[in-house]
Amino acid sequence: MEFTPVLHSEWLKIRTLRSLVGGLAAVLLATAAFSALAGADTEGAAFDPLFSVFFGVGFGQIAAIAFGTTAVSSEFRGGALRVTLAAVPRRGRWFVAKTVAIAVPVLGVGLVTGGVSLAVGKAVLGTRADGLTWGEELRGVVGCAVYLTLMALLAAGLTAVLRSGVATLSILIPFLLIVSFVIGDMSGSVADVLPDRAGQVVFHETWDGALGPWTGLGVTGLWAAAALLAGAWSIRRRDA
Amino acid sequence: MTSIDVQNLTKEYGSRRAVDDLTFSVRPGRVTGFLGPNGAGKSTTMRLVLGLDRPTSGSATIGARPYAALHEPLRHVGALLDAQAAHGSRTGRDHLRTLAASNRIPQRRVDEVLAETGLASVARRRVKTYSLGMRQRLGIAAALLGEPEVVMLDEPSNGLDPEGIIWIRALLRRLAGEGRTVLVSSHLMNETASFADHLVVLGRGRLLADTPMREFIDARVQPRVRIRTTDPTSLKNTLARHGHDAVEHEDGHWIVDHARVDDIGRLASAAGVPLLELAAEEGTLEQAYLDLTGAETEFTAQHQEA
Repeated sequence: MEFTPVLHSEWLKIRTLRSLVGGLAAVLLATAAFSALAGADTEGAAFDPLFSVFFGVGFGQIAAIAFGTTAVSSEFRGGALRVTLAAVPRRGRWFVAKTVAIAVPVLGVGLVTGGVSLAVGKAVLGTRADGLTWGEELRGVVGCAVYLTLMALLAAGLTAVLRSGVATLSILIPFLLIVSFVIGDMSGSVADVLPDRAGQVVFHETWDGALGPWTGLGVTGLWAAAALLAGAWSIRRRDA
Repeated sequence: MTSIDVQNLTKEYGSRRAVDDLTFSVRPGRVTGFLGPNGAGKSTTMRLVLGLDRPTSGSATIGARPYAALHEPLRHVGALLDAQAAHGSRTGRDHLRTLAASNRIPQRRVDEVLAETGLASVARRRVKTYSLGMRQRLGIAAALLGEPEVVMLDEPSNGLDPEGIIWIRALLRRLAGEGRTVLVSSHLMNETASFADHLVVLGRGRLLADTPMREFIDARVQPRVRIRTTDPTSLKNTLARHGHDAVEHEDGHWIVDHARVDDIGRLASAAGVPLLELAAEEGTLEQAYLDLTGAETEFTAQHQEA
């Protein structure tokens, strides 16, 4: 089987589900909205204009995770995977196509989200954002796209392993909302290499952990890759 | 010509044997009915043929190739396994478009199968608004998409209205008439009897029979003759003289077991017995099936090449 038709089919599946298209829109809206809100509150000594501008990514990522999860979990209901794998019996190839069909739209929407978040955030901050360099802004926009993509892929891989969207979301969302906040201030520990903490270094002007902006995204990438490999293994090994 | 060949196929889930050393072939040009009670292993066998489940041992091939080795498999094999498989939030047409795209099947086929299955008017409605019968038709549409030479349908008449059942009967006959290989599972005997030429019968994962339907019935159910007469005494005496035993039933007709209508008609005519009605009562698939499963404890799997 050739790859392109399989990818085309997977892309059609995403385009033809309103919940998925809505999920992508939610990434943009949630990120921009919360970035704007963050700009309104800049009290405190540790004010970081870059983090303020991209503050909404912490919320937008929930939508990205929901997107990655739903795109895969829709295959695990009502025997849908059987129809899919009967059409594309090369399971490894199918899963790669699914991954690409998830990654590319999130990456695209992520770039737009980064740009909008930056524009909105800077507008709200006004002169307080003057310290941002052009390089930092570009780093933030690209980092936003890459980070959201990796989180969506992490969720996609995990869903393929767990074979359930509910299970994936009930692990990832509490993890992001609670664990990271609870251990959020403990720097220099294991917390630094958690997928969200590591990846979000890219949104800071300065950092004091071992991971920099790009190495941090690399660590998030490793998490996503591990989840995808486990997902691929599960899809290939188990009865559909 | 493409047949489905199942060789010593076994599938265990934990300690339970869902399919137990099955060997049979499904040949082109006829409708093969796949019979057995719920849980006999029919659906599991179909999943194994499609490479969806991995066999514990043995093999299943389509045209001598494993399913996974087929290039663009929907162009060779069309299957309906579960009518609930289409995502409720997608339209029926979009569901078919995603399948067609993966196997490079032209988009016009999508509209053709929608028209063929009577779904053209609801094609742009979301699947969750469909009735069970409409979902079943959508699953059949998906199976026909690639004009496959092998068609496998698991319980296709589930949820269909009487009109739908007549439609699917004609469809199956037509597909077989076009030389395609058609395997249709069911646990409904009368329904299967209306379209099948050949039968593969499973019980607890094992092969109970693989034989032409007519032979299957004739071998198990003795023919009977039904008679009404104005002169019961004369009828009874005539038949008794030739070793037949006529039994009277409540509404006045007589049944002669183990007899053929040709013989009884001649006897009655020669003896001048006035007849009001003379009819053959053919055995039904249901009777034959119950006879087979009733004897399952002492069965020996019969495997006949036809």
